[in-house]
Amino acid sequence: MLTDPVTAAAPAPPQGNLWTDLMHGVFPDGMPWWMVAVLGAAVAFAAVMLFVTVIAMFSIWLERKVAGHIQVRLGPMRVGGWHGWAQSVADGVKLLLKEDVVVTGADRLLFKLAPALVLGTALAMFVALPFAPGLQIADVDLGVFFLISISSITTIGVIMAGWGSNNKWSVYGAMREAAQVASYEIPLGLSLMPPVIYYGSLSLRTATDMQAGWLGLHWYVFDPLHFWIAIPSFVLFFVAALAETKRAPFDLAESESELVAGFHTEYSGIRFSFFFLEEYAAMFVMSAVGAALWFGGWNFPGVTQMPEGALRDFLCVVVFTVKSMLLVFVMMWVRWTLPRIRIDQVMTLGYKYLTPLSLILVFAAAVLEYFLALAPSVLP
Amino acid sequence: MMTDLSIPTAPRKRRYWGNVWDAVKSTAIGMGITFKYLWSKSVTVQYPDEKLPTDERYRGIHYLEEDLCICCDACAKACPIDCIEMEATRHGKELEWHKFTLDYQKCMFCELCVYPCPKDCIHMGKEYALVVEDRGQLVMDLLSWKGLTEDQKVRIAEAEAKKAAKAAAQAAAQAAAKGGGAKMDAGGGGGGGGGGDSAAGASDAAETEPTH
Repeated sequence: MLTDPVTAAAPAPPQGNLWTDLMHGVFPDGMPWWMVAVLGAAVAFAAVMLFVTVIAMFSIWLERKVAGHIQVRLGPMRVGGWHGWAQSVADGVKLLLKEDVVVTGADRLLFKLAPALVLGTALAMFVALPFAPGLQIADVDLGVFFLISISSITTIGVIMAGWGSNNKWSVYGAMREAAQVASYEIPLGLSLMPPVIYYGSLSLRTATDMQAGWLGLHWYVFDPLHFWIAIPSFVLFFVAALAETKRAPFDLAESESELVAGFHTEYSGIRFSFFFLEEYAAMFVMSAVGAALWFGGWNFPGVTQMPEGALRDFLCVVVFTVKSMLLVFVMMWVRWTLPRIRIDQVMTLGYKYLTPLSLILVFAAAVLEYFLALAPSVLP
Repeated sequence: MMTDLSIPTAPRKRRYWGNVWDAVKSTAIGMGITFKYLWSKSVTVQYPDEKLPTDERYRGIHYLEEDLCICCDACAKACPIDCIEMEATRHGKELEWHKFTLDYQKCMFCELCVYPCPKDCIHMGKEYALVVEDRGQLVMDLLSWKGLTEDQKVRIAEAEAKKAAKAAAQAAAQAAAKGGGAKMDAGGGGGGGGGGDSAAGASDAAETEPTH
């Protein structure tokens, strides 16, 4: 059996702990490296899946409440008692119990693989998110690059779903999604460059650590020398993220008033719920990237100064999640404010406005960093 | 001379930055408006718990003042689609109600049944929810009670007692007249016989005539 020389070093003597005793009994030479990897992946997957499910169910409930109140009605009020808090749970159970229909004439492989691919990429994006100093699945050095490249794999899943459904509406939805995401990858990537230039790193962990000053309020958007780049670049990032996550006003891929439900017209039951889960997971990830790069990540007065430990990690997770959920709320707010724009307007906005503007901001950020590097002692 | 039908073009000056500014400004204004609405009080009501007030002249499910109704069938005759049916047993002046149904599968809420009522006892109500689990339940009974009430029983008993007393008095008067040697007619004799009966059979329904 292959053993890694590091993990399979001298076996630790039994500590009297039930778990360590058991593990020592089963693996007297320590756990093999592949089992460490598999177990770690399983634990991470379970944690991410649980987190995503809870966040998605809460977001769906919040979306319905926000939609209701913006339209001067109440939204869900019945299920579970207090303001219909259990509505999403009931909907989820209903979706799980529904029949899983595969259309006649569908490309079965693509049809069945697409939801898994879409949800899988959404879950993979959670790997790089810095929730707390002690709670990040992997501190990817290329964090930002990793996130935007993974998020564009979602598009392949959407195209697979649209093509495999044997349905004209689905194909239209998928084609729109492809055109839209391909054109918004550029402004999305470019609008992430100003903070990357500011931090000098693509790692979200480094970005968060660098915003810890001023008692935890030295966020990129508050920096006196950079806010004039930070705020416009955040707006551009947010618009591009809306397009990337297929949210209104860029929800052409599923535009329900024209294409029934776009690429997921033919899906039902748990496969449909995968697409739904992916949408809200992607919203959360994009908001989390925004929170980490522009709004200080887990940094907040009172939390940043605490001594290292489980309590601080817990509060960091709370701060980071709340910041991200606030941005998710803004996404919902935008959805219920702006009407859906036409496909030619989507292209115009992407190529004629967002791309040149983000290029200008990248240039400005680079020039600013260059001159700040020339005079580090003069300026704060 | 031909009219110029071409679409007037906006001045092209400053369009690029003008568009950016317009987009940002109009989005900001729109989001301000929706944010204001987000916190405004809802205009909808939680229906089964609270209901919007109905109009004074609203024509909903009928209600019947059962104690006033005389089972005269006027409303049923007026109904253009024959959806009213009623049935009662008459005990002298009192009515023993069996049914007074309205078929709401047919009823069109035209209010024509209300006008002919001589006692003004059928009205259009304000209830509008025709929610039932089975079609048959749409044939609704408007009666608030069926059969005889305690009051009615007392009044019937009183009426019977009064009648019996009257008959007894009549019989006594006839006996006195007979005793006085006056001539006797067949009608008087029959009446006397009837009076003798009714004292024994007071608990029976004296005059039973089922109506439609």
